[in-house]
Amino acid sequence: MSPGLRFALLTALGLALFPFAFHAIDGYAGLATQILIMSIASIGFNLLLGYTGLLSYGHAMFYGGGGYVAALLLIRVMPQHPNLWLAVLGATLAATVLALLVGALAVRLYGIYFALLTLAFAQMIFFVVEQSQDWTNGDDGLQNFPAAMLPIGPYSIDLGTPLPALPLGPFGNLSDIKLWYIFAALVFFGVMIGVRALTRSQFGEVLTAIRENEERSTLIGFNAPAYRLAAFAISGALTGLAGALRALYDGSVPIDSVGIERSGSFVIFTIVGGVQTLFGPVVGTGLIMYLEAVLSGKLDYWRLIEGVIFVAVIIFLPAGIVGTINNRVKERRALLAASVRAK
Amino acid sequence: MTAILETKLLGKSFGHFAANADIDFSVEQGELRAVIGPNGAGKTTFFNLLSGTTEATSGTVFFKGTDITPLDGTKRVHLGIAKAFQTANIYPEQTVLQNCRLAALAHTQGAFALELLRRSGRLSGVDALAERALEQVELAGLAGVRSGDLAHGDKKRLDIAIALATAPEILLLDEPVAGMSRDEARKTEALVRKLASSMTVLIIEHDMDLIMGISDSITVLESGRVLANGTPAEIRANQRVQDAYLGGHSEAEIDA
Amino acid sequence: MVALTQALLNGLVLGLIYVAIAVGLTIVFGTLRLVNFAHGAFYAIGAYIGLVVAQQWGLGPALVAAPLAVALFAVILDRVLLRAFYSKDATSQILVTFGIALIVEETLRLIFGSTTLQYPPLPALATSFAMGPIVYPAYRLLFALGVVVMLVLVWLFLEKTDYGLIVRAGVRDRTMVQLLGGNIKAASTIVFALGAAIAGLVGAAASPIYSIAPGTGFAFLVPSFVVVVVGGLGSFWGAVLGGLLIGELQSVTTLVFPPAANVVIYLCMAVVLLLRPQGLLGESEVIRQ
Repeated sequence: MSPGLRFALLTALGLALFPFAFHAIDGYAGLATQILIMSIASIGFNLLLGYTGLLSYGHAMFYGGGGYVAALLLIRVMPQHPNLWLAVLGATLAATVLALLVGALAVRLYGIYFALLTLAFAQMIFFVVEQSQDWTNGDDGLQNFPAAMLPIGPYSIDLGTPLPALPLGPFGNLSDIKLWYIFAALVFFGVMIGVRALTRSQFGEVLTAIRENEERSTLIGFNAPAYRLAAFAISGALTGLAGALRALYDGSVPIDSVGIERSGSFVIFTIVGGVQTLFGPVVGTGLIMYLEAVLSGKLDYWRLIEGVIFVAVIIFLPAGIVGTINNRVKERRALLAASVRAK
Repeated sequence: MTAILETKLLGKSFGHFAANADIDFSVEQGELRAVIGPNGAGKTTFFNLLSGTTEATSGTVFFKGTDITPLDGTKRVHLGIAKAFQTANIYPEQTVLQNCRLAALAHTQGAFALELLRRSGRLSGVDALAERALEQVELAGLAGVRSGDLAHGDKKRLDIAIALATAPEILLLDEPVAGMSRDEARKTEALVRKLASSMTVLIIEHDMDLIMGISDSITVLESGRVLANGTPAEIRANQRVQDAYLGGHSEAEIDA
Repeated sequence: MVALTQALLNGLVLGLIYVAIAVGLTIVFGTLRLVNFAHGAFYAIGAYIGLVVAQQWGLGPALVAAPLAVALFAVILDRVLLRAFYSKDATSQILVTFGIALIVEETLRLIFGSTTLQYPPLPALATSFAMGPIVYPAYRLLFALGVVVMLVLVWLFLEKTDYGLIVRAGVRDRTMVQLLGGNIKAASTIVFALGAAIAGLVGAAASPIYSIAPGTGFAFLVPSFVVVVVGGLGSFWGAVLGGLLIGELQSVTTLVFPPAANVVIYLCMAVVLLLRPQGLLGESEVIRQ
């Protein structure tokens, strides 16, 4: 079996089992769907941080921007025939354009300057959204917009429909799962396959080279800012896609979705899981969101725990959870290979 | 014969300090030209102005008669101007072959290619170009080694191979034998001779034996200006050059 | 005219808070090359400690206790954790200090709750200063004066002492600082504590004017970073110029066109970053870090 096929099958298997895990460990039914959606945003964030080294402190502008655009498309443009495809595509496109505009200015900066410029743009967008009462409902966010339908051929599917009832013992009931999960899983699967291909592609190869040695890369003929801009646009597009999906899934867009804490959450998700790994952002997002779901109701200080986890990972597992596991496996294999050679 | 690379009144100032000033310079196609001068004469700045990593504050650079002054380093590489650095500038985490493959990839695919899904392995021309560059510098045997693990001399030759994999017409070598053992230096000298037979080569070097032995002609810089131009014999006999070196920085440099 | 004068005075007070926080950020960056996202936390800790002490013993003791306590916290933080990050890249520093800021904010929330706290009505806060038609709270004017005096002292420290020399040298040339050798460890501790103490003092002194909440630290930190970038990372006068500029810009915009008040400072920073990335008074050497 080729590595690519094995990756696809294992991912699909994981996605098929994933929603059943939460009943047993006290999560709520929609959590699996929300984690998959937010993971897409983290994957987008990681594409930028992991493959260009640029730390964006403004990814909420794409996430929240995607959410608001999707909601506004439903409310203002197609209230009669709310089409999920169009809302999601329109929102992703808008996030991509925003990323190209911001990126065109930002990709010539590094380190703290890049972080602060992205933060500045996100803050500007936050306050513009907050002030545009007529469109965005200001601090209250948008709610109660028409539920988007997913047209497939002659059918129009409501993703809120639960699966047929079927008791599964400790794993709950099949009807806990809505069609939304299947849709989100399919999108997530596509994103994973795409991002895996991207990091192995010529594009990923050049990004890695630019990150390792930018001076040499420009003097062998690569346009480094153009590559970074493309990475920024793809990153923004994925995060915007996630924002749109989350808005449609929740049926609301809070003002926090464009806020600074949301930008920070992608940083936390990705660092905890592991930068520059495929599944790191997914694991980080899943772990933090799961703990939040379980703990934030019972404990006042959930966010304190989150902060402690974040700092602890930075200090003790700088490669993140998945990164550390990957490194251990690599070491083990190298040792094994060495001992085989020795014999 | 036509000039492949030419400068008119080229200058670079940092604030009030003129690192290069009023440099009129011309190198013919196929020539092996050395640029020498005492430490601090502005040689590396001059190379940076030619390769486009530094922006000129005055004057013009021509490549085959076309004004390329406004073009940055990346664009100049694609015209055929490549540079090897004074301190080997390589991708230490990549294999030796991959270092050259990247340069070959930039050459064949251009400054930017949105190849998001396909791998570069499908491009057989890239491998061929990279392998040929490695053969030229005699590193083909180390193609699979992590380049950060190479010996000092091999790193510097790999840097030259990276430049070669961009298929240049003119190659700028900034002190290619600096810090090398005698054996390594001799190997590199032979390499420079061989390269000069197929392309234009500009070389900065402090090793005077090497310079006098291999150069077609020599340009001497002092305090950012051109002090003299001529064949090795002319330069050796030039009183002003001797004064510049002997009065200035290092006897050893010209005696060596 | 009255409204404009009041806005300018408000801008001055706000700007001076930004200056005080930004000066700490900037000298810490200049000396230690540390980008400190936890600097706002020093302000917040100072504000809460100040409030607790003021409720018991009055404002005067609060203004002494807050900077001392914050400086102590900063030194411990520096020794235990941050020192290991001096030599790392800006991204790692941002991440770890952002994490610390989170922890401090949530700890404050745990202790004091999420609600916004107000100062008790101290007599010192009730007096107003009148000049013709312009009436302005005396405490604010006193606050402004106090910050100016403090800035002059900091400036004298930077200009006239050996530690100040190390700070100024560090902005220009790292290797020179390393050559100074043994002094640097003591100097870096003192500089870090000083920057934190300034933020803590201003936090305690400013909270009778602005309210206190766990998120206050981050809320002041972000505009202060704007100030530092506009003025020039590592530059004392850049922080002063940037702080006053941003404070006035924000305050006057609030008067003229309130919806844009929060946007305009980020717009200002974006323009500066794009046209003059080293900042108005910054040195170009630092931009790639």
